[in-house]
Amino acid sequence: MRIGNVTGSTGSGEELNAELDALLLAYRQACPEPEASADFMPGVWAKIENRESSSFLFSRLARALVTAALAASVILGTMAANTTSSVSRESGSYLEALAAEHTSSLDPLSLERIAELEQQ
Amino acid sequence: MLVEFELIQKARGGDGGAFNQIVTAYRRRILGTISRLIGRPEDVEDVAQEVFMRLYFSLEQLRTPEVFEPWLYRLTVNACYDYLRKSKRRRESRMSDLSEQQVTMADAAAGSRLQTEESEKHRVRDTVNGLLASVSEEDRILLTLKEVEGLSLKEMESIYGVNENALKVRLFRARQRVLKNMRRGE
Repeated sequence: MRIGNVTGSTGSGEELNAELDALLLAYRQACPEPEASADFMPGVWAKIENRESSSFLFSRLARALVTAALAASVILGTMAANTTSSVSRESGSYLEALAAEHTSSLDPLSLERIAELEQQ
Repeated sequence: MLVEFELIQKARGGDGGAFNQIVTAYRRRILGTISRLIGRPEDVEDVAQEVFMRLYFSLEQLRTPEVFEPWLYRLTVNACYDYLRKSKRRRESRMSDLSEQQVTMADAAAGSRLQTEESEKHRVRDTVNGLLASVSEEDRILLTLKEVEGLSLKEMESIYGVNENALKVRLFRARQRVLKNMRRGE
């Protein structure tokens, strides 16, 4: 068989090509066909069950994480809303706040107020 | 096809017995392919189990029976790539395999004719393994599927998801690289 001379080829392109074809064909025949062991099928099912249980665990974990994320976003949303309303309440300038504080003292004096001041 | 599409349909529907029958029908072929693609006998069974496990979880996506075998081959090739990427010890493993085979050969004190046949087979395996180990994993798997497994370009098209012409170019280049190494070995 020509295969035996793989390294002794004259090296022309066609010859080498034919030699490679013959080698690959012989290789196919020379390779032993492995037989599956008795544990093959149980091994397949063990892998399937393993993956199923890990994906079940993963989905449970994912669901727990989603719930936690939702709860956190609700809490954060509530906190943010409270902060915003208090900020808007205090959002006036210093002068506006001062004016609001002393509005009553800047009002024109009423008769009751004059009487009050006189008594003092 | 080694199995009827009805059997695949049953397996898709969760019938464990039908799935077992599919595995039994294809396991020998898949084990052989894996053994030639990864070249590490002790891991062949493990990779084959991985292939059938992936098949089990992807059966739902199968629509037409014609694509079943190319699909199974694609799963096989992908599992082999994953294995080779993970282990990254192809060259070392090949060397250890050879020494194991040599030990086996030395131990086998059978009849001289059998011994000669076995040593010829061993020499062929040795030569081809050496040639294929000198090119990239992609080239090796491509050439093995086409030249050793005997897949048609059409089948390979559906495995690789590229058209026939692109495959021909890749195969030609892979072959050229092997031939170059053969010339170098002269």
